[in-house]
Amino acid sequence: MRSSLLRAIALLAIATTVSFAQDTLDPAADPLRRLDPSTRYAVEMLMDSARLARLPYGPLESKALEGIAKRANGRDILVAVRRVFRALRDARAALGPSATADELTAAAGALRAGIAASELSLLAATRNGKPLTMPLVVLADLVTRGVPRDTAAFTIFQLWQRGAADDDFLGLWRSVERDIVSGTNPSVALLNRAREIPAKGPSTAVPPAAGVRPEDAKS
Amino acid sequence: MTRQKLPAAAVAVSLALLATGEHAIAQGASELEMRLGAGAVRTPGVSPLLPASRMAVTPGLRYANARFSFETQGSAWLNGQEWSVGDATVATNTNSHTWHGVRGELLANASRIIASPVDVSNQLDAAGRLHFIRERGGVWVGSGIVRPLRIATVANASVNSGGVWTKLGATTLRATVTNVQFTKFASSDTASGSGAVTACPTSRSAAGATTPDIGPGTSLTLPTNAPSCRRESRLTDVEGGVRWEHQWLELSVRGGERFGERVDVTPSSRTWGSAQGAIWLSSQLAAVAAGGREPAQPTRGLPARRFASLGIMLAYWPIPRGTVLVVSPVNQIHAFELRPAGVALQRLTARIGPVERVEVMGDFTDWAPVPLVRHGRDNWELLIPMSPGIHQINLRIDGGKWFAPPGVPTIKDDFSGEVGVLVIRG
Repeated sequence: MRSSLLRAIALLAIATTVSFAQDTLDPAADPLRRLDPSTRYAVEMLMDSARLARLPYGPLESKALEGIAKRANGRDILVAVRRVFRALRDARAALGPSATADELTAAAGALRAGIAASELSLLAATRNGKPLTMPLVVLADLVTRGVPRDTAAFTIFQLWQRGAADDDFLGLWRSVERDIVSGTNPSVALLNRAREIPAKGPSTAVPPAAGVRPEDAKS
Repeated sequence: MTRQKLPAAAVAVSLALLATGEHAIAQGASELEMRLGAGAVRTPGVSPLLPASRMAVTPGLRYANARFSFETQGSAWLNGQEWSVGDATVATNTNSHTWHGVRGELLANASRIIASPVDVSNQLDAAGRLHFIRERGGVWVGSGIVRPLRIATVANASVNSGGVWTKLGATTLRATVTNVQFTKFASSDTASGSGAVTACPTSRSAAGATTPDIGPGTSLTLPTNAPSCRRESRLTDVEGGVRWEHQWLELSVRGGERFGERVDVTPSSRTWGSAQGAIWLSSQLAAVAAGGREPAQPTRGLPARRFASLGIMLAYWPIPRGTVLVVSPVNQIHAFELRPAGVALQRLTARIGPVERVEVMGDFTDWAPVPLVRHGRDNWELLIPMSPGIHQINLRIDGGKWFAPPGVPTIKDDFSGEVGVLVIRG
């Protein structure tokens, strides 16, 4: 009886040890373990700061993991994570407290692509409960593909005001991408394709973002 | 002096198979295919070279990389109780660099048919082609020569051909026109065409043999050293084909019509058609079934035939060291799609080929690479748990650089690359 009990305890101890060991080895259990200690500490500090500021901290961890997967060094990873943190903070300030985590993530991408916070604020001011995620994703991509940021922001804003839906923005993006690949000037491609999207709602009387050149919209 | 040009419909077929346009943009890496087929071949009418009906086993091997391809195929026929080597073919082609969508191609082909120890026919042919390639299609023109050896019916032939192809999603459409000018040894009853004919007095009777119909309507028993009996003629083959691929299934259908003088085009070779289907049982094993009707191959003295075959194909697509891809990874992706496949589950499908390994990673995998599963030749698939919302995604081909998949918006990734951005709706 006693030996059986001892045997059971020993088995339990072995199982617990193995379980702990597996937890330590499993990357999912501690995904940041592959960072060097100082980088990891800094990243975790930023994640804590994001939590305190009620910002989504998932994008920060995700950026660190992305850097690890792409074999970036610790310094570059930290720079990238800091950049995401700042962009999320600025996105919250631009979109307001009602912005969702997805909208903040998309807005952070747009800010990192070069879109001004004031232009995001204009979009947020006329949202009327509609999700901003898709237009922000498309906006960031257009700038990445070479559309001047003022032209991109102004055009997306106009479509947004005219009631364009997510599918409209996605369709616009596909058409513009195709045109750019075919050799069309990115700015011209965007303006031409934007004209093809019919208005779906009343225009809101909000002035365009500062710095938008009317000639861009007309050309 | 009489130019020796021979009918060569076989060239039209073999060249088209060797270098269809669809291969032109797909050769980014190397691939090795091994085939083993078995089936029945029936030849209508009497042929001096081939038995009317026979069983055939056809092994084949094909290697291709970005610049060069090599293919060899053979067949063994069951004649009565004995197996005998039926035919063997070796074909190569090489491509130039593509410059502004224009590419040159050289093809060479050598083949031998052994019907019996005394009935052996050899053939050499070579051709050059110029391709004009665009994103979803292309046009080519080509010219070449055919040199039959040990064939008593024809001397040689010149071939001019052109083709057009286009890709519509998973479907490839192809059309070719092949004009063959040839000189054949005419018998007295085939010397009635409009081509230049010299006197052909008594060669048939001198040979003292019958003249079986082998397509161009010539006799194998005519002496090859009878220049006075040669006749110039021409054939034009128009052929169309459709190839369709979907995941583990590949289907191809082709058909054609031959134009030419009645003495050169027998009724059995006027039209033809065939179909082939391949079902991929695993990523490297496929069952292949084919059947249909093939036209006569005048340069080889082969008649039209009906065939049905069933076989297996083993395929291997290695990436040899030192291979330099001629296209960027994104250009190797012919389709990329993400569809809902249940609650918080997405089905990622892509057509990428020819490659050995495709991986995906993103925030939904905690940026851990996950390999896609291959179905068929170049279809890849993966079920991914992905919650509604915004996600970032990267693809990698054969361990190369991570890149954003085509067809989705992108942003810079802060690590000198780009990521694709997905917005999954709830």
